[in-house]
Amino acid sequence: MVSPPTERPSIGGAVPRFSWKPALVVLVILGLTGWSAAGTGFDLVELVTNTRPIEKLVSEMFPPDLSAKTLQTTGKGILETFQMSFLGALIGAIVASPLAALATGEAPTVGASRGERLLRVVPYHVSRLVLNVFRSVPDILWALVFVVALGLGPFPGTLALAVHSAGILGKLYSETLEAVPARPIEALQATGAGGLQTFLFGRLPQAMSGFISLTLYQWECNIRSATILGFVGAGGIGQQILVSMNLFDYPKVATLVGTTIIVVLLVDRFSAAVRSRLVY
Amino acid sequence: MISSMHSKKTSAQDLILKDVTVSFSGTTALDSVTLRVEPNERLAVVGASGAGKTTLFRVLTRTVPLQGGRTIVGGRDLYALSNKELKGVRRRIGSIYQAYNLVPQLPAGVNAALGEVGGMGAWGTLRTFLVGPDGPLASRVADALERVGLGDKADARTVNLSGGQQQRVAVARLLVQRPDLILADEPFAAVDPVTTERVFEALLDLNREGATLLVNLHDVELARRFPRVVALREGRIAFDGSPEQLSEEALHQIYAGDSRQQGARAEPADTRPGDPIPLAEGRDGISAH
Repeated sequence: MVSPPTERPSIGGAVPRFSWKPALVVLVILGLTGWSAAGTGFDLVELVTNTRPIEKLVSEMFPPDLSAKTLQTTGKGILETFQMSFLGALIGAIVASPLAALATGEAPTVGASRGERLLRVVPYHVSRLVLNVFRSVPDILWALVFVVALGLGPFPGTLALAVHSAGILGKLYSETLEAVPARPIEALQATGAGGLQTFLFGRLPQAMSGFISLTLYQWECNIRSATILGFVGAGGIGQQILVSMNLFDYPKVATLVGTTIIVVLLVDRFSAAVRSRLVY
Repeated sequence: MISSMHSKKTSAQDLILKDVTVSFSGTTALDSVTLRVEPNERLAVVGASGAGKTTLFRVLTRTVPLQGGRTIVGGRDLYALSNKELKGVRRRIGSIYQAYNLVPQLPAGVNAALGEVGGMGAWGTLRTFLVGPDGPLASRVADALERVGLGDKADARTVNLSGGQQQRVAVARLLVQRPDLILADEPFAAVDPVTTERVFEALLDLNREGATLLVNLHDVELARRFPRVVALREGRIAFDGSPEQLSEEALHQIYAGDSRQQGARAEPADTRPGDPIPLAEGRDGISAH
């Protein structure tokens, strides 16, 4: 007699079996995809069939303009972009550090009074709010604000990168500080260490290599951002790209964009190499 | 200085727990525990995993909320103190753990110096953070590391030390702190026998020098070297007396038949033939977490 199939141990594969909840999620995702594609006029057929404008653009880019004057302009723009991104990340990290320290959630002491809890909670929420404002406004909007306030040039661009970097790094720093192993922290608190002592000797040493890694990554992001801040007049190579685009000088655009890609890749490689060598 | 030395001898030494009850989301970890420990006493706390040993220690540093009862440390109700007063009491309590709980990235010397960090002001803390411990503290750290046989490791990153060496750094931290009360939570569970003996001797030395010593233990033979043994079972005190009174039968009562663990453990407690004391879960020191 054949045993009924229900007696076989049923384990199943890696793909979950049909159930209504995931099916509904898939349906919602499909619906959103169609709706968004219709709304944005997303048309792959158009992209593949009507290639003439792209061909024209690419063919006009070649050969790139490698004249001494263009190379000089490119070099100057790239250096400025590099300087903006570096200063932006550095100032951002410096501003982010104290804000992140305050924005780090620490469990209140067991049995602490209401006043003692408030002393912790108020600076926590204020610094979180500041970091949220810094972060949620995109760097290009910060650049617009600073260009209006300070005039054209790389200085407002650098400030924009610094403010946005501070917002992002502050959030990531505080998350790193919160995620460090808790036992050494508890051991310090058990011997009567206060907030400053727990932070300096418990959280910071454990989070330091994470900070360095995050800051390097933010610098990479800043290099990419700095290339487009020029579009709103905030300095860097973006300004040169925009001017050349407007003059239909596509060979020069090719040189500028090509150089930007190479520099971004080099910085990425350098930063990744440093990050992989960090000792935890 | 003299007055603080004097107060060191009188504060945070005797402990009184009165009907202490602690529960975590419905599970009772300590159930109306009443315990009195005299100044300079030395006692071992034994019991199966989950019996409430670690919770008992956490009550003594006010790191778990109480559902009932009182904890009196050095004559003061621990749970009624302000944060500042609590820090003062905690400074006089030294802790040592199974997992060492050192800061792995710091040099061993700085970890040892952290025994004293609670007593530093903001400037002292910053100074120590930036340039290291000042002269007197630095020499105490050097002495303490020398005493645990790690005199040459002050600058070594703690993470690069072996487990036994890290536990010795934790002992050096205690030696620097010179606490009046020592809470050692399974200090030998993750170290080799030689380190066990060494750490044990250091703890006894501190006890001889005046500190009250409470040690959580899995190893009943080690517990027998203490003049007083307290056993916990299901959050209650199941035994409190001298090791001579701790019969095989009493041990069996303490470790076997834990109603909360029977359902989870298929293996009955007495399946090891020839083993006079059935090794219940956790007593091997591996499954203690």
